[in-house]
Amino acid sequence: MRKAVWSAIYLLFILAPLLALLTGALPPSRDFWTEFSVALGYSGLAMMGLQFGLTARFRYVTDPWGEDVIYHFHRRISLIAVGLVVVHPLILIAAGSEKLAPPESLRDVPAGAVFAVISIGSLITLVIMALWRTRLKISYEFWHIAHIVLAVVAVGGGLLHMIGWGFYLADPWKRALWIGMTIFWIALLLYVRLVKPLFMLRRPYRVAEVRKERGDTTTLVMRPDGHAGWRFRPGQFGWLTLWGSPFKITGHPFSFSSSAEVDDGRVEMTIRNLGDFTSAIAKVPVGRRVYLDGPYGAFTIGNPADMHVLIAGGIGITPMVSMIRTLADRGDKRPLILLYGSKDWESVTFREELEALQKRIDLTVVHVLSQPPEGWTGERGYIGAEVFKRHLPPGYADHEYFICGPNVMMDAIEAALGEMKVPLSKYHSERYSFV
Amino acid sequence: MRRLFADRLALATGIIVVVVSIAFAFWRAAGA
Repeated sequence: MRKAVWSAIYLLFILAPLLALLTGALPPSRDFWTEFSVALGYSGLAMMGLQFGLTARFRYVTDPWGEDVIYHFHRRISLIAVGLVVVHPLILIAAGSEKLAPPESLRDVPAGAVFAVISIGSLITLVIMALWRTRLKISYEFWHIAHIVLAVVAVGGGLLHMIGWGFYLADPWKRALWIGMTIFWIALLLYVRLVKPLFMLRRPYRVAEVRKERGDTTTLVMRPDGHAGWRFRPGQFGWLTLWGSPFKITGHPFSFSSSAEVDDGRVEMTIRNLGDFTSAIAKVPVGRRVYLDGPYGAFTIGNPADMHVLIAGGIGITPMVSMIRTLADRGDKRPLILLYGSKDWESVTFREELEALQKRIDLTVVHVLSQPPEGWTGERGYIGAEVFKRHLPPGYADHEYFICGPNVMMDAIEAALGEMKVPLSKYHSERYSFV
Repeated sequence: MRRLFADRLALATGIIVVVVSIAFAFWRAAGA
């Protein structure tokens, strides 16, 4: 229901500013292609502005979907918006509009056209950097700052282009509406990047322990410094800013791995060395001041279910361990099955901890190894429909499923669950590489 | 699966925007 409401609000935000142009006194009518092109330009800018709202980490907006899906949607809808914006001058060119006739000299180029070029130029740069960041070997931190700056230039340039051309926005009320809307979107950005960090600055955490885990993985134990901290639900995540101040623009999202039932505000994050920013985690000194923005995420237990089935691939185990620890602390009696895919036996993160948890809770752990050791009698290869059928009791549609792991695994498992007629409402998935 | 829903919502939004833009242009070109 909330999804439908948000989808409707989203559409309203895109279409209402366009349809508002048709109210009140109207300028003289023009040909179809000119008007169509202009409508696409206005809609494209409204869609681009909305991206500031989508990525502002408002729990109320993101919770029904999950943050990973919000970012996926952001990428898709942004490409469509950029497509509309790029197509709109092309329509004018194809229609032979005199608007685009080259001026006598560069001095005669109207300001509206200059802003159009700036806006579209920054948009195209932004898209190239977003789609091929890794191929272009651009660091995540630099990309993140550039992405924000280019987005503001693109939206600001688009607005100035519209005001420069006048026509519809010659009407002061309509001009005020579009200027107000753009200011609102940029204010959202300032809220996320300046106001929220101010609050975080007053609520720092300190690293209390750095624990080495199997599989080139490290757990950071963090305690609130001078405040009570906050409670999270198992399976949720936070944005961790490790070096410098919370104003540093790039936080990194990590799941909490500790039990949600601890009452001293302590939180743990378990982070695998993937060769990037994460390679520095093992070297973090105890006592280091860090900043946490959270908790976020809809990937959490709490719905009625006869049993929980947790499916983890690699470091996707972290939210699952948080759930298992929490259920154990709550004394939950329901059966719990963990299907856990790893590379080899030595790199199974939380291996001993899971064995200990089996003594406290009705937990069955099925390890699936892609490179099993000699004499391994357990499951081999990757988790798929066959593994499900061997280990899950029937009544597949009554269990509650949680899946977290690499994209390839998620796609295969979601397809298998679909074949097993498990309704969408019964499984929750989180892709940990969503940014 | 939820990503599939997001894909469809994005595509539907794009189609609705284009259709509304066409209606807008017809309305204006007709002298409204």
